[in-house]
Amino acid sequence: MDLKKHIGIGFRKDFSEELLESDILKPAFIELAPENWIGMGGYWKKQLAKAAEKFPITCHGLSLSIGSPDELDYEFINKIKKFMKEYNVKIYSEHLSYAKCDNAHLYDLLPIPFREDAVKHIAKRIKEVQDILEMPLAIENVSYYTPVAAEMDEATFISSIVNESGCNLLLDVNNVYVNSFNHKYNARDFINNLPLDKVSYIHMAGHEQISDTVIIDTHGQAVIDPVYDLFEYTTHLLKPVPVLLERDFNIPELEELQTEITRMENIVAKTWNKKPAIA
Amino acid sequence: MLKESTHIQQSKLAEYCRNGIMPKDLLGVTAENLHHYRRLVFNIALDTLETAYPITHSFLDKEVWDKLNLEYFSEHKCQTPQVWRMPLEFYDHCVKKDIQSQLNLPFLNDLLFFEWLELDVHTMDDIAYPAYTEKGDWMNDIIAINPEHRLVKFSYPVHLFAPTEMTDKTAGDYFLLIYREKESGNVQFMDVSILYAYIFEQINNGVLLKDVLVEANTLFQINDITLLKEHALNFIKDLKQRNFVLGFLKN
Ligand SMILES: [Fe+2]
Repeated sequence: MDLKKHIGIGFRKDFSEELLESDILKPAFIELAPENWIGMGGYWKKQLAKAAEKFPITCHGLSLSIGSPDELDYEFINKIKKFMKEYNVKIYSEHLSYAKCDNAHLYDLLPIPFREDAVKHIAKRIKEVQDILEMPLAIENVSYYTPVAAEMDEATFISSIVNESGCNLLLDVNNVYVNSFNHKYNARDFINNLPLDKVSYIHMAGHEQISDTVIIDTHGQAVIDPVYDLFEYTTHLLKPVPVLLERDFNIPELEELQTEITRMENIVAKTWNKKPAIA
Repeated sequence: MLKESTHIQQSKLAEYCRNGIMPKDLLGVTAENLHHYRRLVFNIALDTLETAYPITHSFLDKEVWDKLNLEYFSEHKCQTPQVWRMPLEFYDHCVKKDIQSQLNLPFLNDLLFFEWLELDVHTMDDIAYPAYTEKGDWMNDIIAINPEHRLVKFSYPVHLFAPTEMTDKTAGDYFLLIYREKESGNVQFMDVSILYAYIFEQINNGVLLKDVLVEANTLFQINDITLLKEHALNFIKDLKQRNFVLGFLKN
């Protein structure tokens, strides 16, 4: 199956049974966090095996902590490698953030200082991870609620890391929207400033506006219209890539998720499925 | 190379997420938004622990539970990259800090471990079943057992009664056999006496039942091997009924 013109869904235990037993939701592929499945047996291992039979799997990690000052966890990276081999995973992405610091895991995504030394540090680590995994890593632009000790802007930071490391970019369109709101910048300009030829994957998600000035990236709501608009805008700038709908909390009826998938499919059908003009 | 000054900034934010103490000298931050990080990080840890330990969570007073979690997350450095395994570190932390003595709840370690075990046995990696046959002799052949199990000893019957029922009088030696059913993946519990725990442990180690019974007869001063045999066979046939005892090892 060609993942590049179709939409996938984040595989959640909350709806795994319904996804596997029914045809309500028709994703082209599923994405999962290897951390949530590595070394897990019993019922969930069986569910995962069924899922792997029905759908191609992509991996989106949580605990690599590529932006951490700590040393990389090689044992963990090798476990991911083994897992991806077992489930025939061809795409691995992670967050451009840190989730572990000074030998303590935090299980969430903290903003990295946008600084030149951090760029160098992270680019080196990305190369190392890619070497071990023998596949490219796609790094994701994350939502953040405050910059920390920044010495450059976010787009420059992301671009520099992508350029220096040669990695791919997972463009989370919702995160761009959230950040453009929280940090008051123009979302389209921001996207224009990214290395778009390196975008290999897209995330779409819902969020929650909790005040006049703050949106929290919850993955607990439906995708809103302005994010669809930004997505459509983005598809015009990119070659076809896999697109993933993230829904982690507050899971609605699967019909609703399928409606969102269909809407995205219609958007990419307009831009990416166009027949090339006759020369 | 990451500069020391950058590392310090990262450490300060991470430290704040763990202990909730607003850091000084974080550069260029949107101060009014910083608390979201502490809230989001701490809530993930709290949710994970409340899901893993629902009985302990609802039994302890809210202030006690919250304080315990605040201390744990600020003092302990979580080691596993897999958040669903993190509750084991919470249990270890409570044992190390002797929280049960501090709270005067001498059954707390048992209760936490019991709750962890249920999660652990449900999720633990698959263990290959031994090759076995249905045909054999209970007394003279090695009995094959579902390897996906644990036998644990408690000092309080946390697996039998609610925490509110635990008193000095209920303290004693309790044995729990906990196993995962192959097909469904469901976790099953069995309270067993010390005698049956002993018999089970021995046959699980591959000792022939006839030899186990001779030992047990002396060890537990039963002095009635016929009666012991009858009880032991009933116990093992019950385990067979549950598909926990599989049959007999193929040699
Ligand atoms: Fe994302």
